[in-house]
Amino acid sequence: MNDFDLDRLGDVWRQQPDPAELERLRKSAAAVARRARLAQIVDVGAAIAVGTAVIVLVLSNPTGRTFLLGGAALIFLLGSNIRQRRLRQLELKSLTGGTEDMLDQSIERIEATLRHNRLSLILMGPMVLVGAIFMTAANSDVDSAFQAAMHSPALRILAVAALAGVAAYLLYAIRRGRRELGRLRAMREAYRQEREKSAQ
Amino acid sequence: MAAVMNAAASAAPPFETIVSDYGPLISRIASSYEADPSLREDLTQQILLAVWQALPTWRAESSLKTFIARVAQNRSISFVTRQVRQGPVAELPERIEADAPNPEEQVMQMNEREMLMEATRRLPLPQRQVIILVLEGFTYPEISEMLEIPANALALRLSRAKAALKSMLERSE
Repeated sequence: MNDFDLDRLGDVWRQQPDPAELERLRKSAAAVARRARLAQIVDVGAAIAVGTAVIVLVLSNPTGRTFLLGGAALIFLLGSNIRQRRLRQLELKSLTGGTEDMLDQSIERIEATLRHNRLSLILMGPMVLVGAIFMTAANSDVDSAFQAAMHSPALRILAVAALAGVAAYLLYAIRRGRRELGRLRAMREAYRQEREKSAQ
Repeated sequence: MAAVMNAAASAAPPFETIVSDYGPLISRIASSYEADPSLREDLTQQILLAVWQALPTWRAESSLKTFIARVAQNRSISFVTRQVRQGPVAELPERIEADAPNPEEQVMQMNEREMLMEATRRLPLPQRQVIILVLEGFTYPEISEMLEIPANALALRLSRAKAALKSMLERSE
């Protein structure tokens, strides 16, 4: 490949892949589109089903309290759907926009996730303490069977295991996030250097 | 909802037609970012999904090919940042050379296209993007618009990318 001619290399680059590969790609695309359509239907269907269930429950017991709770549930549902939609739009915007903007947005997103995960990890200790205090305070108001269940060794082991699992997951997520952030920053730096070289 | 979204796509051809027309482009872009076949398959599926999702936002003022190439490149870049196994992309040339146990033997077995693909993967990301788009046959104004850089900056970046690619291809021989 001594002859460095980009036009010729372009022809080499654009060689048609073999028909079997194209067929695989077509099948893969059909499966992807099918799954995406199904996910959209499930998404909308689930929102309608939950909304309808809340309305039916409220109407079957129409008191001031149920109206208040039902209204709050519907607002929460609506808010969560709007948030999801905004997130999807942001993702689409970054996909269809410039690469450097996408890298900046990704860096901001990972930094926010890292902050959130670190805070969650730090707050785990105090939250367990607060939970234990509430448990002790609540014990005086409940029957002995419930108290016995809450103090059973199996439940304690389960609670400790769950906490350890959450902590391990948070640590893993922080580690992974740091790696991803490092990679994104390296890419951003590569673009910055290219800009600087071009400006010189 | 799918029907509504697809109807909103301004004159975009059906997804199946897009895959037939631009499938090879998507496949090549995926290959120029991911060497591992199983990960490449995963990346290709992610690009296809991204194109499917982004299609309703496409407006006919830009070419569909440009739109798809941009989505494919951006999805590929976000994909490689999530890969735990790889080193930073900007450091890729050194890393690959150090990792390859017997580069001459490997290169001997590659055909010209594979060599070109491999060399492209070793380029730093900003240069790789430019080279891929040039090799795909995009015009300089299209590349300039896609990468959101002025024409003179593009010319300089392309010149550096060409030099780096040439050097890598010569070393591969």
